[in-house]
Amino acid sequence: MSDHAVASATEPRVQADLACTRLSKQFGAFTAVDQVSFSIPRGAFFSILGPSGCGKTTLLRMLAGFQQPDSGDILIKGRSVLHTPPNKRPVNMVFQHLALFPNMSVAENIAYGLKRNGVPKRQHAALIDEVLTKVHLPGYGKKRIDQLSGGQKQRVAIARCLVLKPAVLLLDEPLGALDLKLREQMKIELKRLQQEFNTTFVYITHDQSEALVMSDQVAVMNHGRFEQVGTPQELYYQPKTAFVASFVGDSNQFAATVQAQTDQTVTTVTKRGVQLQCYSELALPPGAPVTLFIRPEVIQVGVCKPDPVPDNCLAATVLRILFDGARSQIQVQTAEGAVLLAALPQTADFQALTPGRSVYLSWQARQGLCFAATSPQHPGAVP
Amino acid sequence: MNRASFHRNRSQFRLGFWLLLAPIVLWLSLLIILPHVDMVLVSLRERIASRQYGFSLDNYTAFFTEPLYWNTFVRTAVMSIIATLMTLIIAFPVSFYIAKVLSGRPKIALFILCLIPFWVSELVRTYGWMILLRETGLISGALQWLGLAGQPVELLYNDVAIMIGLIYTSMLFMVVPLVTTLDSLDNSLIEAGYDLGGNGWQVMTNIVIPHAMPGIMSGCIVVFMLTLGNYLTPTLLGGKDSLWFTEQIYTQFITRFNWEQGAAFGILLLILSSLIVWLGLKLTKQSFTRVMS
Amino acid sequence: MIPSLSSSRFYRVSYRCYVGLFFIFLITPLLVVAAFSFNDSLFPSLPWQGFTLDWYLGARSPRLGLLHDHALLDSIVVSVQVAVVTTVASLALATCNAFLFEREQFPGKNFLYVLMLMPLVIPGVILGVSILVFSSTVANWFEVQFEVELEALRPGLVLVSLGQFAFITTIATLVISARLRKFDLTLEEAAMNLGASRLTAIATVTLPFLRPALLGAAVVAFLMSFENFNTTLMLVGSEAPLTIAMFDRLREGSTPVLNAVSVLLMLGSACLALGSLFVQRPEKA
Repeated sequence: MSDHAVASATEPRVQADLACTRLSKQFGAFTAVDQVSFSIPRGAFFSILGPSGCGKTTLLRMLAGFQQPDSGDILIKGRSVLHTPPNKRPVNMVFQHLALFPNMSVAENIAYGLKRNGVPKRQHAALIDEVLTKVHLPGYGKKRIDQLSGGQKQRVAIARCLVLKPAVLLLDEPLGALDLKLREQMKIELKRLQQEFNTTFVYITHDQSEALVMSDQVAVMNHGRFEQVGTPQELYYQPKTAFVASFVGDSNQFAATVQAQTDQTVTTVTKRGVQLQCYSELALPPGAPVTLFIRPEVIQVGVCKPDPVPDNCLAATVLRILFDGARSQIQVQTAEGAVLLAALPQTADFQALTPGRSVYLSWQARQGLCFAATSPQHPGAVP
Repeated sequence: MNRASFHRNRSQFRLGFWLLLAPIVLWLSLLIILPHVDMVLVSLRERIASRQYGFSLDNYTAFFTEPLYWNTFVRTAVMSIIATLMTLIIAFPVSFYIAKVLSGRPKIALFILCLIPFWVSELVRTYGWMILLRETGLISGALQWLGLAGQPVELLYNDVAIMIGLIYTSMLFMVVPLVTTLDSLDNSLIEAGYDLGGNGWQVMTNIVIPHAMPGIMSGCIVVFMLTLGNYLTPTLLGGKDSLWFTEQIYTQFITRFNWEQGAAFGILLLILSSLIVWLGLKLTKQSFTRVMS
Repeated sequence: MIPSLSSSRFYRVSYRCYVGLFFIFLITPLLVVAAFSFNDSLFPSLPWQGFTLDWYLGARSPRLGLLHDHALLDSIVVSVQVAVVTTVASLALATCNAFLFEREQFPGKNFLYVLMLMPLVIPGVILGVSILVFSSTVANWFEVQFEVELEALRPGLVLVSLGQFAFITTIATLVISARLRKFDLTLEEAAMNLGASRLTAIATVTLPFLRPALLGAAVVAFLMSFENFNTTLMLVGSEAPLTIAMFDRLREGSTPVLNAVSVLLMLGSACLALGSLFVQRPEKA
């Protein structure tokens, strides 16, 4: 869906809180952001997911006004903000290291934006109390910043922005500094806050789990471009490009060549000579090199051959068991020598599985994806 | 449109930049560069008639031909070097004690104790030494009381008194950089030196002193500069015959009103101090900006 | 050598004695000055004639105490005036310099930085005479060209302030730059993001962050100006700051009223120094 939706979304629409058209930014010879267009409907949680150096921070800083785009336009509530300095833009930002003012108390931090925006002083106390209650920190106004825990600082940083009721809240990997447990809690908390304030969130991260758990829409970014924009489910189950397929979720990847294609089912042969049925929306000529992606959790593991035989069925030997509680996997090797990871079923049959045992792996053709192995695809290159 | 806004942004940035640049340029040019250029010009002229000046090197030849000037100059340089080295020798063990032997509260307390006398005016410190060293002073009195001297001893107005005063006055500027660099030396390096079979002297010369070299140099440079340019201490503790070069400058400017000669002396002293600083930096391969900041 | 290594008792004791002697060396001159301010004698020297407060409170010559010595009191006022002007001016310029060197990139920056450090290695006497020479040149030129006499450029308090300002600014710049270097720029961006203009952001976020350094630099600048001798000596006119007044009296030989002034200076400096230490303390915690 995404490519098309993005293209049409470039038309300024009333319900879009934030829209960008053909936004580009160069640093010398390096293109940080390359012709990026998107629009975010009001009240959405929109994530930009990409590896470090993909241009997502530059994109966010352009939205906040700390960097000027070389070309393109940024529309907030349908109005171009290119000529609006950062302090006049109706966007607020939660910085990567939060940037809470250390010389001010929690309340003073929150009041800072109110003062700058000319909110009458007598309203401050009520507004601050209200927002602190909403972020579950009632009565914390008098605390100094260095008295807060990491999670509390997060909440103050968010409260400081949300009290200004911005059209869009930008979040620059704010969970990066937290430990794992706290990060899991904050994911849920952020989602709750977004729903409660009903504000558009633009969240950038390199952590796919953060993006998938919280977002309504995720844009996967690579080399300054959006590879795909879609719901977390779409990205996970219907990746449009090899990069998205490999970046979002885990996959067994194989280099292979196309033998034949009927409708969207492609018959391929891997380098080791294993024949596999895969799914592709695109027409792939016989002999074309492709990359196959099979997720560990779609692979059915059985001790005996399944009946009826699914599209793909491989006999394999267990190499080792990678125990990780509910996320346990097994590493297996086929007769041809191909090594795969498969999710370990949590049933009694497999409790006693030991290395060396024979198992059968099976999955449907629709559950394996293949992409042409030539140069990485861009949304624009897709016909 | 886009480009125009970009340019406006740039020009705002430039305006702020010029506003920041203007004061420092005014300061440096009006109070540092032009005065020194003017001093060079004044030193290169002679008075022909009232308000009539001509170019001349006489002020410099006078320096080289008049033994008093020349001797004072060399004496000042040599005594400054001796004072610098003695300050280093006295300060090093104390700095080492503060930085490496002590820790925690006593360390901070002793360090502050080191600093506090230097918050007090140099004049007061020198005055203290005058009271101690003069004929009717404390040391003379103590010597008599102990029976080591039969009559009051005048300990002021000699080179030793000048030296004590100079060392005392400069101590802070040696102790602070030394403590800072020694503090940054990891104790485990000293332990490793011993562990590998070194004795105290070898560890000191092979590990501690090379590590402390930047601090030693920066302390020495600053102390040398301050000593060379000192006026108060030699005048008060050395009396009329202290023969310090800054006194010559003062005499030429204020007493004799011979500004041309005084300016030449000033330039010569500046050249000497720059030369020694430059030499010190070259010898120890330190950068001026790093040592001074 | 260090506590973790064993050393002989003799070594440790003698090392401690050395350090002890060093501190006696440091503190004795100051104690002596302080003690003799209470000596009931016309001269600050032995023998000890008994305790008196005359050198603080005495109202009649020759036992003129500090509180009634109008010449000394006036010179203290002069010194304070000069020090306040110098401190304010050098702090203002030093703050600009810190922003220039820490925030801007421009060709010739390193050269300018080295130039900025120069006043540290120019002996104070020479800095004084060079400004004296240059200001006279300028004043003479104005006199010849326009027949105006610029009194400010003749030796006097204006020149004294300028001369002290010339080198104190460098020290203040180093102190403030060091602190500004530690500032997290995203704090300023956060302020702008919350609606502050650039100048407001600096005033409300950056300057409060610099406050300990500004206070520290102010104390250092004030003391350096108050106690400056070398540069001041060359530029002073008819009104003498305290150090010059004390110097003149010292050469003539004076009553212990000078000791009383010294005690006052010590107390003042100690208060300022300790005060600035306390101001900077909470920052580290």
